[in-house]
Amino acid sequence: MSTTAIETKVALDQALDLNTAPRKQSSVEVTDYDNRQTVGKITVDNPKMTCRGVNVYYGEKHAIKNVGLDIGANEVIAFIGPSGCGKSTFLRCLNRMNDTIPICRVTGQLRLDHDDIYDKSIDVVQLRARVGMVFQKPNPFPKSIYENVAYGPRIHGMVNTKAELDDLVRESLERAGLIKEVEKRMDEPGTSLSGGQQQRLCIARAIAVNPEVILMDEPCSALDPIATAKIEELIDELRENYTIIIVTHSMQQAARVSQRTAYFHLGDLIEVGETDQIFTNPKHKLTEDYITGRFG
Amino acid sequence: MNKPTASPPTKIPSRDIKTIVNAGLARRHAAERRFRWYGLIAITLGLTFVVLMFANIIGKGYPAFWQTYIQVPVTFDAAVIDPQGNRDPQAIETADYAALVRAGMRQLFPNVQGRLELRALYGLVSSDAAHELQDRVLQNPALIGASQEVWLLASASVDTLVKGNIDRALDESERPIKDNQLEWVDKLQAAGKIEKQFNTILFTSGDSREPEQAGIRGALMGSFFTLLVTFLLSFPIGVATAVYLEEFAPKNRWTDLIEVNINNLAAVPSIVFGLLGLAVFINFFGLPRSAPLVGGLVLSLMTLPVIIIAGRAALTSVPPSIREAALGMGASKLQMVGHHVLPLAMPGMLTGSIIGMARALGESAPLLMIGMVAFIVDVPKGFMDPSTVLPVQIYLWSDLPERAFVERTSAAIMVLLAFMILMNGLAILLRKRFERRW
Amino acid sequence: MAISQDAHTVKQFDIQLANLRNLVLEMGGLAEDQIKRAIAALDEENMAAAREVIARDRLINGLQLKADEDCVSIIALRQPVGGDLRLIISLANTVTDLERIGDGAKKIARMAIQIYDGVSSPPSAKLLRDVTPMAELATDMLHDSLDALARLDVEKALTIIHNDDDLDQEFQSALRRLITYMMEDSRTIGHAINVVFIVKALERIGDHCKNIAEHIVYLVEGKNIQRRRNIDITMDGPVQAVLEK
Repeated sequence: MSTTAIETKVALDQALDLNTAPRKQSSVEVTDYDNRQTVGKITVDNPKMTCRGVNVYYGEKHAIKNVGLDIGANEVIAFIGPSGCGKSTFLRCLNRMNDTIPICRVTGQLRLDHDDIYDKSIDVVQLRARVGMVFQKPNPFPKSIYENVAYGPRIHGMVNTKAELDDLVRESLERAGLIKEVEKRMDEPGTSLSGGQQQRLCIARAIAVNPEVILMDEPCSALDPIATAKIEELIDELRENYTIIIVTHSMQQAARVSQRTAYFHLGDLIEVGETDQIFTNPKHKLTEDYITGRFG
Repeated sequence: MNKPTASPPTKIPSRDIKTIVNAGLARRHAAERRFRWYGLIAITLGLTFVVLMFANIIGKGYPAFWQTYIQVPVTFDAAVIDPQGNRDPQAIETADYAALVRAGMRQLFPNVQGRLELRALYGLVSSDAAHELQDRVLQNPALIGASQEVWLLASASVDTLVKGNIDRALDESERPIKDNQLEWVDKLQAAGKIEKQFNTILFTSGDSREPEQAGIRGALMGSFFTLLVTFLLSFPIGVATAVYLEEFAPKNRWTDLIEVNINNLAAVPSIVFGLLGLAVFINFFGLPRSAPLVGGLVLSLMTLPVIIIAGRAALTSVPPSIREAALGMGASKLQMVGHHVLPLAMPGMLTGSIIGMARALGESAPLLMIGMVAFIVDVPKGFMDPSTVLPVQIYLWSDLPERAFVERTSAAIMVLLAFMILMNGLAILLRKRFERRW
Repeated sequence: MAISQDAHTVKQFDIQLANLRNLVLEMGGLAEDQIKRAIAALDEENMAAAREVIARDRLINGLQLKADEDCVSIIALRQPVGGDLRLIISLANTVTDLERIGDGAKKIARMAIQIYDGVSSPPSAKLLRDVTPMAELATDMLHDSLDALARLDVEKALTIIHNDDDLDQEFQSALRRLITYMMEDSRTIGHAINVVFIVKALERIGDHCKNIAEHIVYLVEGKNIQRRRNIDITMDGPVQAVLEK
């Protein structure tokens, strides 16, 4: 009995670093990158996208402040944070959707695999084919369901024959879990579907061009819980083939669908870590305050 | 609430919201009723004016669609038409058909004697009656030598008389129609030889000094050619400008300046465009006066700002989510505009264009400046022929003193209004049909 | 990262959490009182007091039920995360430990009734010699752990975890002494066994206090030292062997 007790004590002491070192005020793991601090590990073993020292300015406003973050292949990473914290802005940097805003300026390094996506040699059309996007409000084109999905492959010239296109459309709808619902009504307008179906149509449209990364900007904010659950299930299935970055206001959603979570606050990337850790034991006070609902 | 509440002295005398609201309720309802009455009165007033205008125009213009004809026994005398007897078309064409008309009239009233009396008798029929006979013979040469009862166009004064617009009680000298003519017309009417028929001349002939021969075909064709030029120029240029300014142009001081100027152009009085057209197109480029081409150019200048403004409004109303969707799929900017934005904005653009065209159709002031106000008898056959347009024709006719022209003025206004309503209806139809909900 | 003390945006959430914490502390106070009463009843040979201790255990059970219900409702309605989640889990676990501590006090009272049943002769004082210091140690531990919980004091919690070893050693030596008495004089066996139950109960109370201290460490630091230790122990032990089969 006493030997067990001693073993216990040793294990306990090791666990808490009691004997080896004086207890630190906080056992926070800090990554210092270019003089700014993001709590947690920003790097991953097999990154799909790498961002270093990213700054975004809207005119005079410094919207994203020196953010460094890796996005792993085939992971779902969630960006959370209060409104106006820059999570959507950062997301839109990843496929250069910010280019459409004239006063927006992006500096720093953003890489997709090994290509610098803000390099002059990278065409934005090619980039957006590789990095698809699903928006907050379901926004199918006011065309038929078929045309919605066929649009991407068509403009990029991905298919040669009608039969190939048909197959691709069917496959995309199948992967988006929508095929059963729309099989008989491919010629009806996409806008005739329900909100959740429209959003899945938008996902089908995005995956029809077989992107490497899919960006989702609050994809469920306009949907009811059942439609939301279906989208979340879909995201989980899509993870096998795609890297997914999702911005969400719902922390429960972030907790449910993502493997890693990044918390943004006023343009800073405050903390990033395993979703499990972020939601049970966040390291930074701002993260804790946000996820537990302590924001004034 | 049994606790004794030491109520603090408050400024509100009573917390009973029910009584407070009830007290003011009657006043509120009265205000609402009053406002409803104001609205009703305004609408009734407006409608009354519209009805008055229409009643006036239709009342005046309706008779113009009917024209008086006199049945005259005509002998197509071979000696008059074809004195050589060789059926030479040239000879037949130049024959004195007026003599045939005169003979027919004499046959109706054999008792009439004397030059003055006869001239008065011949004056019952229009000078166009000879042309009518000529047309018949040219179409059917077999008529030569035959005799036939022919309905001939009555003169304008007979027409006016028959329509009851001449006061018989007036002194003879103050009437366009004399006592003897009155007597003859009465006799003819009694014999059933005077009849009102649908006025095809109004739609088939050009302008004329004789009211009974004047039609709006020339003006209609002029308007058609002018508007065609206007549409072909202003629609593509307007749409392209709107698309460029809205979708492609960088937002800077220059585009702001252009935008302000376009908005100002829409408010420039139309006569200024007429002066511009006169100076640039006619004096500088040397294009012919009174030509639909010049008219179209001038009206294009006037319509362009309207189309551009309507087009830009239509483009802005396309939700940004559609643009984002297209860009997010990797569509280029031109693909985004061409595949999604423009098709969605097109109904709005067309509506704006049609309304702009309707405005151009009703425009007269700038066309006065470029000579489209001339008296033109021939129906224009192309973009360079001298012509006039409907509103200008109305303006011209309204200046003429003859009673028959008053009718025709109103008739022309009715035709113009019909086209306006048609175009606006088309605009509404397009909007209803293609307006998408998203 | 220490647990955040700022107020929640939803005030009602704060009120619920505070209520739950107060409930647990109240339960702790009650458990502490029960131990003291049970030991006093033993010391003073007061059977009425011992019976009262047994009756009062229901109070603790009632509080446990109430606290469990509150935890469930907070989880269902507020979906707590982060520090809030750890607080709820720690408190729920603490409640279980406190209930067991209450059971321990009840057991001591029951043993007191058996010892002084009026039929057999009262035990000699030396048999009961170890009970009082062990009881003091155990009540101190409980008091300290409740104190640490109220103040979220990790340092204190860690001291408690160390102190448990002292109590364990006390238990071992008490056990050795009682065995010696029993071997010397077999007539003491009846009483001695009852005393063994009492010191065992006190030792268990110490273990529960240590658990509470571990919950506090988890609550504040987010580290589950208890689980880690258990894994370390069982990995090479018989449990692992069973798992492998």
